[in-house]
Amino acid sequence: MILLDRVTKSYGKDGKPALNRVSLHVEPKEFVIIVGTSGAGKSTLLKLLTRDEKPTSGKIVVGGIDYDTLKDKHIPLLRRKIGVVFQDFKLLPQRTVYENIAFALEIAGMTNREIKNTVPKVIELVGLSGKDKAFPHQLSGGERQRVAIARAVVRQPKILIADEPTGNLDPKHSWDIVRLLEKINQYGTTVLLTTHNVDIVNKLQRRVITIEHGKISSDQAQGSYRQFGGKQ
Amino acid sequence: MAKKQATPRALAQTKQTRRKWLTFVRMCRYGVNNFSRNLWLTVAATAVMTITLLIIFVTLAARQVLVDTVSTIKDRVDMSIYVRTDTTEDQAAVIKREIQKLPTVKAVTYVSPEQARKNFADENKSDSRTLDALNEATNRLPGTFRVSIQDINDTSELETFVKNNAIYKAHADPDRAASFSGDRRSAIQNIGRWVDFAERAGIIASIVFIVISSLIVFNTIRMAIFNRKEEIQMMKLIGADRNFIRGPFIVEAVVYGVIAAVIATALGVAALYAAKDKLLSYEVAVGGTIASVTMYIPFVLIAMILMGALIGVVSSLLATRKYLKI
Repeated sequence: MILLDRVTKSYGKDGKPALNRVSLHVEPKEFVIIVGTSGAGKSTLLKLLTRDEKPTSGKIVVGGIDYDTLKDKHIPLLRRKIGVVFQDFKLLPQRTVYENIAFALEIAGMTNREIKNTVPKVIELVGLSGKDKAFPHQLSGGERQRVAIARAVVRQPKILIADEPTGNLDPKHSWDIVRLLEKINQYGTTVLLTTHNVDIVNKLQRRVITIEHGKISSDQAQGSYRQFGGKQ
Repeated sequence: MAKKQATPRALAQTKQTRRKWLTFVRMCRYGVNNFSRNLWLTVAATAVMTITLLIIFVTLAARQVLVDTVSTIKDRVDMSIYVRTDTTEDQAAVIKREIQKLPTVKAVTYVSPEQARKNFADENKSDSRTLDALNEATNRLPGTFRVSIQDINDTSELETFVKNNAIYKAHADPDRAASFSGDRRSAIQNIGRWVDFAERAGIIASIVFIVISSLIVFNTIRMAIFNRKEEIQMMKLIGADRNFIRGPFIVEAVVYGVIAAVIATALGVAALYAAKDKLLSYEVAVGGTIASVTMYIPFVLIAMILMGALIGVVSSLLATRKYLKI
């Protein structure tokens, strides 16, 4: 589903690379946790996957699309196949829950009828039934993140990238979000989750990829949060 | 009855057209929403656009008024060709026909010596001493041809006529050379030069104002976009294409333009009407401009709207460009 082959990304001309010859392979329907300190290169990796940035060198193939041959005008189409969730939700503040989710379908040119059919189902999936007319500022952080997830999955993407989705949430809400991501994963979506939350990483018992100084320092099939500096 | 079979390809085509239309409608809706969302920005941008359009309107109207005024004054300028007092009406008629043959001549009127004397008496009817003197003296006033010509700057033909035409020369008044109404002519030539200058200045001023206000509108829209930078970023990341992001901003700018055009046209026409009497009292020929603006008001409005929309579209295209790099 995701393939990175010796990908390097440097910012500026002779700066230290943010990612240094990283190779990675993620199978379809996998649930992968990416950990690493800030500045380790996690964000850069995600930006490369959403084609927000171009790699300095190396090859990236996501869902069968080779980024080298991807034309600029097709980038929006690619992004519609990848759902993204952010730490700070990035919802449209002036629009309701329903409208925020519908927006993702509107930009894809879906008809109003399709939207009316799809959105309520997703609202139900993320457990926000009855809140579809609420505005983001009327919701708790956890609820907002559910809206963001609903928006990300409403187009049934093959891949869901969740960038620190629990960063702003208390433990209870964090777990709610993680459970929701697991549910989405069960439906067949590949999930990429970055987090600093030791508890979540340790309890999930999923594949854990650790990034340090722009390189993958460990990749465990059923990993736990590694203490940085080599201790386990 | 055989049902018309739609090929899959045609179906896909219809679907795509429908999607495009749907997207367009949605973009318009978002644009109009954005317009009503940020009141201050809306007011500021609309005000700037109104002032720009008003300036353009006033500049164009002023130019037209100036041109009209000059041409009315030009019409009043004439060359006077004098003939002796003893020239008969018949002889005068022959000369008149000769003058009328000249292609540059617009109109000729003849004022006979008797008529001139009467006019003189009329002009001085409050001055009894002059009147008495006039009644006693024999009429020495010449007959006068008042000739108005197409272009006051081109008098050569008429001058040649005065110098060479035998019929005229037989009756020419030896004491009075043919002349343009002296002071008036030089004044008019000055006005002509001023009009050229004013016209050029008007065009340059319009361009400068259009550029300045485009910049302000551009800046205002850029501020609006800067406010929504995060939103644009998010839209990009969830796969909105460039036009979908840009569309609402363009629609918004067009809405500014249309509203501004309506306000500016109303203000401009009102200003023309308000200034009408005052200007007419200074012999400024404002009537024609007012009449044509009033008559063609739908076209004026459409032109203003197009102009406003154009400024809006161009400046919002420029303003969004920076944020839309993928």
